[in-house]
Amino acid sequence: MSDKVSVSLNVNGKTHALSVAPERTLLDVLREELRATGTRRGCDAGDCGACTVLVEGLPVLSCLSLPARLSGRAITTVEGLETGGELHPVQRALVQHGAVQCGFCMSGIVLAAKALLDHNPAPTVEEVRHALGSNVCRCSGYARVVEAIASVGGRP
Amino acid sequence: MRYAEPQTVEEGLSLLATTAGARCLAGGASLVSKMNAGQVAPGMLVSLHRIPELATTTETAEGLWLGAMSTHRTVAAEARLCGAMSVVRHAAGQLAHPAIRNMATLGGSVCLADPQTELPVALVAASARVEVAGASGRRTVPVESLLVGAFQTSLAPGELVTRVLIPRGVDGAVGHHLRYSRVVADYPTVSVSLVLAMDRDTCRYARVVLGSCGPVPLHVDAADARLVGTRLEPGAVAAAGRLLADSSAPLDDVRGSAEYRRMLIPRLLGRALSQARERAHV
Repeated sequence: MSDKVSVSLNVNGKTHALSVAPERTLLDVLREELRATGTRRGCDAGDCGACTVLVEGLPVLSCLSLPARLSGRAITTVEGLETGGELHPVQRALVQHGAVQCGFCMSGIVLAAKALLDHNPAPTVEEVRHALGSNVCRCSGYARVVEAIASVGGRP
Repeated sequence: MRYAEPQTVEEGLSLLATTAGARCLAGGASLVSKMNAGQVAPGMLVSLHRIPELATTTETAEGLWLGAMSTHRTVAAEARLCGAMSVVRHAAGQLAHPAIRNMATLGGSVCLADPQTELPVALVAASARVEVAGASGRRTVPVESLLVGAFQTSLAPGELVTRVLIPRGVDGAVGHHLRYSRVVADYPTVSVSLVLAMDRDTCRYARVVLGSCGPVPLHVDAADARLVGTRLEPGAVAAAGRLLADSSAPLDDVRGSAEYRRMLIPRLLGRALSQARERAHV
C-alpha cells in the first residue's frame, strides 16, 4: 500500500488539489484523474514524446514525471493551447500543411513546437528538427510537420 | 511505496540509512521508466529536488563544482565551462534528446553508470572528481573510481552524490565530444570525448575517452601518450586508435556489432581530433 501524497497541480492555469500515490506519473493523473486525454500514452519509457507537456514552458515527458514533485509549477497540456475557440498558430499551420496524419503524436509535437517558438520566434528548419528530437511520428511523415512549424516563424 | 522530500543532504542520508529499499529520485528519467516497466519498486522514493545545495554551481580556483541535481540542459548552457572543461558542456548539449535533457541530471547519470550514455565519458575526459556524502562524512573521488562496471558504482549503500568538480585543466586546451549514432536521439554506437592542447602544430596534451566500448568509459594512457608530441598525422592517430580498439570490449547489439564498433574507433578518433582543432583554431 502506497502513501498518498497531496499535490496542488496547476494545469493550464487551473489549480487541482489531488491526493496521489507517489509512483503514479503525471501522464496517469492527467488522463485518469483530470480526464485530460489530449496527452497521449505511447511508450511509458521516455522514448516517443507522445506524452510531452510543458513545465514552466519547457518540454518534459509526462510519463517520467511524478506529480508529487510538480506542486505549484505551471503545467501546459494541448488542451491549454486554444484561446477563445481559436487554434494556436502551430496547430493551424499543421492542419494547413496536411501534417496531422493519424494525429497520435500531434499533441506532443504541438507542445514541443510551441516551446521552441516561444524561445525562438523564427527558427530555421534545422532548429525545428532539433527541437522535435524527442518526438517520434509512427506515420513517419516528418517533412510536412517540419515545414508547417518553420512556416509559423515566416521561414519557408 | 513511501515518498519523502528531504530539505538537506543530512536529512536525505538519514532517510536512506533508516528505510529499507529507499532509492534516490533525481530527474527520474531512468528510475521512473524502470518503475513504469515493473522492473523496480522502491520501498521509498527520496526525492532530492528540495535540497538547494544539490542544485548549486560554485566557481573556485580549481574549477567549477556542479550540483548533482543540475539538469543536462543547465550544464549545456553553463558558459563558465570553457577550455578543457567545455568537453562536459559539449556532451551535455548533445546527448539523448531535448525533453530528456530538460529532466535528467548530472548526478543521476553518474550514479546510473550506463555504459551507453555519454556524460560519464565526458566527465572522465575532463578528469572530474565526484563528492560523495555518507554517514561518515564526505569524500571526493575521481569519477573513474566511482564507475566500476555496467550500471555499477562504488557507492556504498546509503551514500549519495552531492556535486561534481570539473577541473580547469590544461591551459589553452579545448574540449570536444563526438557521438556517432544511427538516429540522432538514440544512444550512440560509439562516442568520443577528448581534451586536446596544441603548441602550433604539435600536440602538447591529449586525453581521449570512449563510450559504448566496454562496461565503463574507456581510457588508455598509452593512446594519449601516442598522440602527445606528434602533429596528429594519420599514422599517429591510427596507432592511438589501434591501442584504444585493442583495449575495448564493445557489445554486439542493435546499434552495431562489436567488430563494427572496433573499426569505427580509429576513424572517429581522427574525426574528433580534427573537429576539436577546428573549434580551437589550431
